[in-house]
Amino acid sequence: MASLVGAFAASHGPLIVREWEHVPAEQKSRVSAAYRELGRRLTAAKPDVLIVVSPDHWSNFFLNNYPAVCLGVGEASEGPPEPWMKDFPHRQIAGHPGLAMHLAEEAMRQGFDPAVSHRLTLDHGACIPLWRMELERLPKIVPMLLNSIEPPMPSLARCYQWGALLRRAIDSYAEPLRVAILGTGGLSHSIGEPTMGAIHEAFDRETIKLFSSSEQSLIEFLEAKLPNSGNGSEEVRNWLVAHGAAGGRGFELVDYLPVPKVIVGCGFASWRV
Amino acid sequence: MMRDYWLSKLFFDLQSPALVAEFRAERDKVLARYPLDERVKQAIAENDAPFLAARTNAYLLRYYFFALGMKDDEFIRKLNSG
Repeated sequence: MASLVGAFAASHGPLIVREWEHVPAEQKSRVSAAYRELGRRLTAAKPDVLIVVSPDHWSNFFLNNYPAVCLGVGEASEGPPEPWMKDFPHRQIAGHPGLAMHLAEEAMRQGFDPAVSHRLTLDHGACIPLWRMELERLPKIVPMLLNSIEPPMPSLARCYQWGALLRRAIDSYAEPLRVAILGTGGLSHSIGEPTMGAIHEAFDRETIKLFSSSEQSLIEFLEAKLPNSGNGSEEVRNWLVAHGAAGGRGFELVDYLPVPKVIVGCGFASWRV
Repeated sequence: MMRDYWLSKLFFDLQSPALVAEFRAERDKVLARYPLDERVKQAIAENDAPFLAARTNAYLLRYYFFALGMKDDEFIRKLNSG
């Protein structure tokens, strides 16, 4: 049977690429070290497949059809379309249709109703962490695009439940695969709003603290605070998926630091699975 | 939450570098392909960020002004000028 061998989360943000040269050296060093540490832990877990939980930043979906959740079930995904991501080393990213379709079928069977796609494009949300983790070998990637960009979005409780569902589905997959999960995005940031550039460090630190508490406390806090913490903070949903997959047992904080030059409260976490 | 579909579609399509180049060279020609309200066209011409922000997704708005070549500081200043 398949098994979950790791659950991680890491921030992303276009300016981590575009403004990287202007980030103060000490912050640059810490962000790089945190990504690399996650890469080291992921490599040590020897995953055959990595489920990457990320938003779609208008690369696949538009107002015509914006699914709450879309699982990538194809043989491959396209690399990032953003011109400034041209140096990302993979133009095509191999998937794992067998596991991905099993996840989709189990989700349907258990009343979760995801969309599926046989050919997704993975934008900077998925690809910046994969790039900066400096993996020697990219595992097969099963994308899970979770809407945290365009309202209405899946509830926070549902995102946690999605994580638990993924864990059950992984455990019931017949092939002996080693599977890891990476939630990307967050923590606080604000994009295209009058508050753009604001980082809510107190919100971020309390969020991190509450990941060690009950999921109910965490979700109640987020429901109360997210509306005033910047629209990018909604991506904490992807962390909740990793949290649910890990059984809500809390994570080891690899690092957290606000990085004003990239306008993101940068967080990096590794769960106890 | 209000969404102007065609305004949003324009911004979505302007993620294409080729269309951005065309938009910069012949903006009216590109705009003519989208059934935009005259007031929306005026807001585009005037870079009226608060007006546009009320009608589209914040990420799409940011992508649009980035595609125009506007620096973030100037974009944020415009967003707060309403």
